[in-house]
Amino acid sequence: MKSVRDMVAVISMLVDDEPGVMQRVMGEFTRKRINVETIVVGKCEKPDKARIVLSVTDPVKAQAVIEHLRMLQEVNEAETVDESRHESYLLMMNDFGKARMTGSIEELSNVIEKSQPKKYISTVSAL
Amino acid sequence: MKGAKVVVELLERQGVEVVFGIPGGVLLPLYDELVDAKFRHILARHEQCVGHMADGYARALRKPGVCIATSGPGATNLVTGVATAFMDSSPLVAITGQVATGVLGADAFQEADSFGIMMPITKHNFRVMDPKQLPKTMIRAFKIATTGRFGPVHIDIPIDVLTSDIPEKELSKDYPIPIPKRNLSQMLDAVKILESAERPAILVGGGAIWSNSGLEIIKLAEILMAPIITTLMGKGVVPDTHPLVLGVVGMHGRQGANYVLHNCDTLLAVGTRFSDRVTGKVSDFARNTKIIHVDIDASEIGKNVKGHIGLVGDAWTVTNALIAGLQSRKIKQSEWKKRIKEIKEACTCDFDLSGEPIKPQKVIKELSRYLPDDAIVTTEVGQNQMWMAHFFEMSGTRQFITSGGLGTMGFGFPASIGAKVAKPEKAVCDVAGDGSLQMVSQEFSTAVENNIPVIVCLMNNGWLGMVKQWQKLFYEKRYMATMLGRSPDFVKLAQAYGADAIRVEKPSEIKEAIKRAVKSDVAYLIDVVIDPEEDILPMIPPGKKLTDTIYGRCCFSIKG
Ligand SMILES: Cc1ncc(C[n+]2csc(CCOP(=O)(O)OP(=O)(O)O)c2C)c(N)n1
Repeated sequence: MKSVRDMVAVISMLVDDEPGVMQRVMGEFTRKRINVETIVVGKCEKPDKARIVLSVTDPVKAQAVIEHLRMLQEVNEAETVDESRHESYLLMMNDFGKARMTGSIEELSNVIEKSQPKKYISTVSAL
Repeated sequence: MKGAKVVVELLERQGVEVVFGIPGGVLLPLYDELVDAKFRHILARHEQCVGHMADGYARALRKPGVCIATSGPGATNLVTGVATAFMDSSPLVAITGQVATGVLGADAFQEADSFGIMMPITKHNFRVMDPKQLPKTMIRAFKIATTGRFGPVHIDIPIDVLTSDIPEKELSKDYPIPIPKRNLSQMLDAVKILESAERPAILVGGGAIWSNSGLEIIKLAEILMAPIITTLMGKGVVPDTHPLVLGVVGMHGRQGANYVLHNCDTLLAVGTRFSDRVTGKVSDFARNTKIIHVDIDASEIGKNVKGHIGLVGDAWTVTNALIAGLQSRKIKQSEWKKRIKEIKEACTCDFDLSGEPIKPQKVIKELSRYLPDDAIVTTEVGQNQMWMAHFFEMSGTRQFITSGGLGTMGFGFPASIGAKVAKPEKAVCDVAGDGSLQMVSQEFSTAVENNIPVIVCLMNNGWLGMVKQWQKLFYEKRYMATMLGRSPDFVKLAQAYGADAIRVEKPSEIKEAIKRAVKSDVAYLIDVVIDPEEDILPMIPPGKKLTDTIYGRCCFSIKG
């Protein structure tokens, strides 16, 4: 069986921080029928710019969508990020309270599997 | 300066000579400024046609066409026009009015989310919320439409932005946009492959039309002794009379061209996206062919056919680079050259051109002969379009304008109006189907009112012919909703609008009708009653292989 890691591709984008950018970027994924697993969006070191980091489960499709993303006017940079720079975040809750963790994608998916939290959200970022 | 004035001023500075539009409530401030504008405004009768007119104008001149529609229904009507331009990479700047920023999002009267609606069908789109951004937006819109791969850009402008005061200095600033990079790193590989090819061919698409590279393509073909085949969108980039030109490929293409497409060992594809109408079943396409794909849009390389050499750049530049790379090399003059001649000669068909009812092919032959050598032809969608693609001869400097990507019925007539406005000295003829024309026939008003004497050559078969053909071939003639049972008298219809018109029922009358139409100084309709049972053949059924071709009257004897 493939490990979780093999199946995840992470795309990082530097974009103009303007209304409508998320809709436009997500539109590309919808049109290319690529299921987006996780999204992190936020302000970054450059003024008026934002970073979007997405993970998808199909590395081949991820590679194909990159050129399409680059064609968008508000996307300044788009690249796939290699595995060593992936960082996974987990926020989970059970009857005893809340916990947050960071780690590799694999580590955190192991945590989720073992502890079976009542509620959780996990996402992937990268720099 | 008031926002509306800024729009007009910047359109003037862009060198805009004409805009196509229909006003509405939220556009009143803009239309008030248009009273004093230096450019012409052409009032159409439907916003879809506003888009197609600007598109036809853009294609005829290879420069951006401008169209204007109001908020809500104006914008939604415009959608088909914009989407059509998008699929064929045509540079439009489409401006829509929008309700005031204060009520935007509150389902105000005539509010539609035009920004959201236009997003997937434009190269880029803007909604101007801050009046200060208006000059920047206008200037960037024109740049985006005409940089790299062309495409439509939409600007949605709320009414209060049109009435706001905008500092004049914003108008003269420079607003750069990112320029797409060329990537010719595989040039040497490409040259080596072409040089050692035994059966090379060049497939040319719309990209070569936009970058006007016909002469360069021919030069390259002559160096390589490679036949030139074109997609529907590439039709006319090279004259059909050249011995290396084999015509249009694809589902309804010339069999000679299709033979070459499927039997060459090396294919240089220039400015084409390998649409399914060209490749047939894509998994079977060109499995043993080396493909060199030239496109201005890096995202096209490997999109539909994978794993080949890609050269990213405009057709003109890359073709010239290939010429430079190959010129000094020794190209083998192989058997292939002889073969091309045989193929070109074998590509004939057998029908009785003088038979009655009139065969559509006869009409096209007559158009080929009697339209001027520099005519612009447009088509609707359906059999009329494919007959034109297959049989119309592109000689001299003729231009062929058609909705290839979206296949929009009702495109050709308004597009012909736009093209005629762009090049009033040329004869412009829309070859129409009776179904398509009825989607946009109200634009005879626009043509007559504005003295735009286009020709409409109606291939009147009483059916939605193309769909009927598919029902005939693939659904056991179970005709459903394809007979146009009650059509108007098209001659009277055109005359009611003030156009001139003639009905043609005999093959011998076609020539005279065309000659009259070309001379006419009002819009002119030729209503040609054609044989309703004539299909557009040959045809490679969808998803099938070349060997599955339905030949019809095609006599091509070198079977793939
Ligand atoms: C706007 C639009 N609606 C529907 C279609 C589907 N369609 C493709 S060809 C065709 C029939 C066209 O009929 P007509 O204009 O009479 O041309 P013909 O095929 O008879 O030459 C139809 C309905 C289309 N391409 N565009």
